[in-house]
Amino acid sequence: MSNSLRRYLITRVLMTIPMVLILVTIIFFIMRVLPGDPIRSQLGPRVSEEQADALRERLGLNRPLIIQYVDFIGDMLTFDFGTALTQGERPIKDELGERLPATIELTIPAITLTAIIGIFTGAYAAKNRKKPIDYIIRLLSIILSSIPIFFMGLVFQILVSVRVPIFPLSGRMDTLMLTTFESPTNFYVVDALITRNWPALWSAIMHLILPSVTLGLALSGVFVRLTRVNMIEMLQSDFITAGRARGIAENKLVFKHALRNTFIPILTLLGLQFAILLAGAVLTETTFSLPGVGRYLVDRIQLRDYTAVQSTIAVFAMFVAAISLLMDILYAFVDPRIRY
Amino acid sequence: MKKDIENNPTQAQSSETPDWLLDLDKVGFIRRIFLARKWYGGDWWFVAISAVLLLFIIIVGVFPQWFAPYDPSAEVGPSLLEPGVAPSSYVLVAPIEAGEITLVDIGDKSNNIGFIIGSPASQALREATDTLNDAAPEGVRYQPRQMRYETLAEGLDALAAGEIDGFVAAPDVLENVLDGYPTLRIANTLREDASKGFVMGTNQIGQDVFSRIIWGTRIALIVGLSSAIVSLVIGVPLGLISGFTGGPLDRILTLIMDSLYSFPGLILAISIAAVLGAGIGNIIVSIAVLYIPTYYRIVRGQTLAVKKELYVEAARSLGTSKLKILTKYIFPNVIPSVVIIFSVNVGDAILTEAGLSFLGFGLPPNTPDWGIDLARGQDYVRRAWWLITYPGLMVTMVTLSFSMLGESLSEILNPKLTER
Repeated sequence: MSNSLRRYLITRVLMTIPMVLILVTIIFFIMRVLPGDPIRSQLGPRVSEEQADALRERLGLNRPLIIQYVDFIGDMLTFDFGTALTQGERPIKDELGERLPATIELTIPAITLTAIIGIFTGAYAAKNRKKPIDYIIRLLSIILSSIPIFFMGLVFQILVSVRVPIFPLSGRMDTLMLTTFESPTNFYVVDALITRNWPALWSAIMHLILPSVTLGLALSGVFVRLTRVNMIEMLQSDFITAGRARGIAENKLVFKHALRNTFIPILTLLGLQFAILLAGAVLTETTFSLPGVGRYLVDRIQLRDYTAVQSTIAVFAMFVAAISLLMDILYAFVDPRIRY
Repeated sequence: MKKDIENNPTQAQSSETPDWLLDLDKVGFIRRIFLARKWYGGDWWFVAISAVLLLFIIIVGVFPQWFAPYDPSAEVGPSLLEPGVAPSSYVLVAPIEAGEITLVDIGDKSNNIGFIIGSPASQALREATDTLNDAAPEGVRYQPRQMRYETLAEGLDALAAGEIDGFVAAPDVLENVLDGYPTLRIANTLREDASKGFVMGTNQIGQDVFSRIIWGTRIALIVGLSSAIVSLVIGVPLGLISGFTGGPLDRILTLIMDSLYSFPGLILAISIAAVLGAGIGNIIVSIAVLYIPTYYRIVRGQTLAVKKELYVEAARSLGTSKLKILTKYIFPNVIPSVVIIFSVNVGDAILTEAGLSFLGFGLPPNTPDWGIDLARGQDYVRRAWWLITYPGLMVTMVTLSFSMLGESLSEILNPKLTER
């Protein structure tokens, strides 16, 4: 590893820390100005002020803000997030551990679909730049990114689960099947596969199709355009002109030579989509009643559960930072021009 | 990667000026637009189509009262009425021996009126009773006891047996059935056949869906445009100053903006909207925060690039003040990009607003807002497709028009701009 690459990597990693810190700090203080009260939302209005104070004391909410903040940052550094303030005060680690698998099971097929649609359609549009098909693809991609994710989900629900009942309407698995299905890791697909529980696997997959297609399609709208722009730049480079001069078939030039070279920048762009993916997951999980992290976050914001919300957002921020770090490092390895 | 794109000055244009460009200088504004059509091809059409759509949307948003037939928050018809279907009439069936009776005669508490459970008949009865009560003198209150039956036959049997005093049903279902009951007849019309239905149906509380989406245009435009203007007014100067002065201020601002930019926008908006509470001003603020970094990044990148240009150097060496360099020499360079971002931003903001309202963090309930209508319609997804389809299509259409305008303008004005 060259010296400059090492320096770049160290700087890049160090820059990630303040990024996460800034976000977490913003959210911490935003949550504290909230007009609601987690103690009230948990106990209800009829409980006396003394009891509320006692609970407040037990949960550490009566301490000065700055001490709570330091405490919270300390918790973050050890990845222990403390316990939730509402709904049984369970450790947040456990709560997130139960819900993260649902979100991951939703996002992996979605992002795969986005990548496949985005890369091939984008490359095809770039190849036919300024021809009618290019405009059609661009128009379709703009339409896709203009449809609210939840609306797309609802339309799918109406079409292929209410009108023509092919796919289940919502949830992660048939409720009847859930009573007997045991899932130690909470990855339903994986667990069903390991225990060779084929009906459960089928049910889990069928429940996943609509949400992940919705999310994947919604994301691919932006991604097609990003790929297209990148491919157009690549197709203008000298080695493509040289290839063309040597008489290499245009299709081979586009889908082999150019695409291979744009793959890494496109992958980086896919990494940048991750943030949008998480935001989309919130809406998709709400539409399809999936018990994922996004739904959890929305529910807990409504309950004013400070610790749960700030920890979930911290996890989101870390995820986003980690992915973008990973993509940048990958890119730095591949492209020696990228250095600080 | 991103830095690369931002810092690269636009590639040198070909040195020879094409003929069409020379032509453009000789003609007036209108002809110029049409001449440019040849060169920009599809993108020109994108701009034209979205401009027409936007003009229409803006007219609807400014003058919703010209288009909406009803008050968007008034209950104007039966609930969950399908689009185009006129609300059917309902009649009162009573025993022949009772003579010419109307609802007034049997609207008493001691009287029972039956109808089929879950049918719109209950609503027709309620409406008729309400009308009676409105017209009734002080102290008189009509409140017949409602009896619910599973089937028409059950209800009519009960009526024939004298258990109830009247039965409400639609005339078309009664047609042949009533022949089997010689002692019964249609005594009175409870609700007249409406001459026309509702273009897009009614929602679960009997509001006109069409009027609601028309009035929703105004809300969407207000939220979209205001939040975009707020982000522009904050983001552009910050980007200009940060790029121009550099130093620690630039570094700190960039770090903060990058953190905000990299984070899922909707989640940030939810948190802020939850802090501020429901209300149109609060929604505008929480959406505006999301897009400040977008303006900031693009403007800063371009300022950095332009700062090094010779003419800026020349102005500086002539002793031009910093403020003047910033406003007269650098700012005009960022205008095209800002216009593009603004257009895309308005579309995105409308989409985000719909998302916020859908999750319940948006405007006060019962505001004629597309997101709220979509959220409420979700509960009826099994039986009322029109509740979500029309508001959803409106969000899509408005967002589409703004994004299409932005995207094609960016292809025309600034082909190198790839950031969203």
